[in-house]
Amino acid sequence: MPQAEPDHSAASIVEFCQFARDNGLSNGVGQTLTALEAAKCIAPADKQVFALALRTVLSSSKEEWDLFSKIFELFWSHSQNALGPDSKEGTEPRFNTHRPRASSRALLGLSEGDASQSERESKVVLGASAQQRLQKMDLANVPSDDLLALEQISMRLFRKMSLRLARRRKIKNLAERVDVRRTIRRSIPRGGDPIVLAFRGRKLRKHKLLIFLDVSGSMNSYSLFLVRFAYALQKYFNSVNTFLFSTNAVEITDLLRTRDLPDALRGLSQRAAGWAGGTKIGDSLRDFNRQHGRRLLSRNTVFIILSDGWDTGEPELLAGELRNTRRIVRELIWLNPLLGLEEYAPVTRGMRTALPYVDVFAAAHNLESLLALERYL
Amino acid sequence: MPTAPTFPEDKQINDVDDLIRSFERLGYVTDRALATAVYLVIKLGKPLLIEGHAGLGKTEVAKVLAAMLGTRLIRLQCYEGLDINSAVYEWNYQKQLLAIKIEEKIERAIEEKEKYIFSKEFLLERPLLQSILAEAASPVLLIDEIDRADEAFEAFLLELLSDFQITVPEMGTIQAKHVPYVILTSNRTRELSDALKRRCLYHWIDYPSFEKEMKIVRAKLPGIEEELGSQVVRFVQAVRQLDLAKPPGVTETLDCAQSAMSLGKHRLDAQTVEETLGCVTKSMEDGAKLKAAGIEKMLS
Repeated sequence: MPQAEPDHSAASIVEFCQFARDNGLSNGVGQTLTALEAAKCIAPADKQVFALALRTVLSSSKEEWDLFSKIFELFWSHSQNALGPDSKEGTEPRFNTHRPRASSRALLGLSEGDASQSERESKVVLGASAQQRLQKMDLANVPSDDLLALEQISMRLFRKMSLRLARRRKIKNLAERVDVRRTIRRSIPRGGDPIVLAFRGRKLRKHKLLIFLDVSGSMNSYSLFLVRFAYALQKYFNSVNTFLFSTNAVEITDLLRTRDLPDALRGLSQRAAGWAGGTKIGDSLRDFNRQHGRRLLSRNTVFIILSDGWDTGEPELLAGELRNTRRIVRELIWLNPLLGLEEYAPVTRGMRTALPYVDVFAAAHNLESLLALERYL
Repeated sequence: MPTAPTFPEDKQINDVDDLIRSFERLGYVTDRALATAVYLVIKLGKPLLIEGHAGLGKTEVAKVLAAMLGTRLIRLQCYEGLDINSAVYEWNYQKQLLAIKIEEKIERAIEEKEKYIFSKEFLLERPLLQSILAEAASPVLLIDEIDRADEAFEAFLLELLSDFQITVPEMGTIQAKHVPYVILTSNRTRELSDALKRRCLYHWIDYPSFEKEMKIVRAKLPGIEEELGSQVVRFVQAVRQLDLAKPPGVTETLDCAQSAMSLGKHRLDAQTVEETLGCVTKSMEDGAKLKAAGIEKMLS
């Protein structure tokens, strides 16, 4: 790529910082000032060091770090005169297509027609990906008016459940041993006589929840309601992350964080591509572990899989991934809607593979069974 | 406003290449990107956040920087539940208690007694306070594995990193005489807060290229035969391409080369690798995966 010598004048650096911000970096004004200072203390002729310096100042994560060199090249190569308006206009739209944020916006814009269509239909199906719905979905057993009532009841009950959990934490938080150090500290205002004893109790850590929800075809009649369950949990618990999966895993934590549930569900239909498709639990779990595992899983995570265990992937892969996950997290809970059926036995290949690694195997076919989850949190 | 770190005159670093050479003299092979970042730490007095996989020499950067500047390295290892008492300061309660008893016999005003009890003599300095109190020159403060500490501690750190002052209620606010050079490292086990990241320079440390890794091996194991060294590096680089739970870092390369040397080998063969498998892979599954991929094939 032909490159112009980067211009070190303050104006072009400020311009570049803005350009970087527009193209996906999260730098603020503070960083711009730092960039100016940094430019002052490096040799002006050394273009490479100049780029490296700006990178270390402006980026703040691996993703931004990787993105930076693209932005840098684009800006300095296209702007002989960085302040020229035409160069800016020429580059920005082209580059913007690489931005995930912009591309998702474009996606929304492109499917404007679809969106309004699904919006109309969402009164009935509440947000399932419109095309998929027409192909596969049969929601006859979940009438929409019942759904609303059920939703209200469940929200009320989930809220109660979370309050109960908070209270239980407090009661358990009783003292266990005398804390000598703090007792002495407290005795100092009283001339060294330990009148008030300090106690040391075990600090109760709140568990993090990770919800891994199956939205494949076989889960059709449950998945929409289970999304509501995830929404409720996320509303009342501090740290919950939610993923949907069918043949791959998609994070929807941010979507469920909105105040308005219908809004969230509309967003969902845009994002979840494999809605009502096939199931590959092992593959999805592998995707998840690779991309998000290190960030989201720890010793105090409770990992909840909501799935019926109909798996078309490799059982060995599923077993391996479950083993990996199980080793990191505090508890692995598998909630299976089919367990509510009297004649059901976990004999499907996927379920048989999974059972040895699961701490809790419970039903999830109605509100009651979901509320019973409280026991394990 | 705190002033920029004071810099020893005789160890002036004039540009990035100077710094690379100084680091190399101390046995740390670095590239221009990292050198630029460290150079800016020295020049701007900003904290540097280094992220990357385990075993790539993140912590080492701070050590070498301290050695190069000839200043003290103060290290704070983060862990879950790290609190102010073990990171900043604590009063020496036992000693205070004894002092109170002794003071009972002495005629002195209550205020004076209190002042004495809460004087520096009774203060236990933990790493962060130490870094602020340094008398002679700016120390290097290494905050290791910040991602392991909890969010509350991160928020506290924010205040320290912007003002370089610590408030001890009984004594007042202590302002740093010499602002420390701050290096933070993270393994990315969780996302750090934006506020903290915004205050720091950032560097992502990646797996080294073949040439760089060879240079590191030569620097760290001066006696190694060229043939063996390049074989080990090529092998470990191939292993990194496998989909392991814990890909080997540079530390593992060095371990592997070291053990081959101590076994008196002149070249790396499949048998040696198998015998010293623990140097490269750190779990049973990874070991099995490596064997399944064919050690012979990866050596060739």
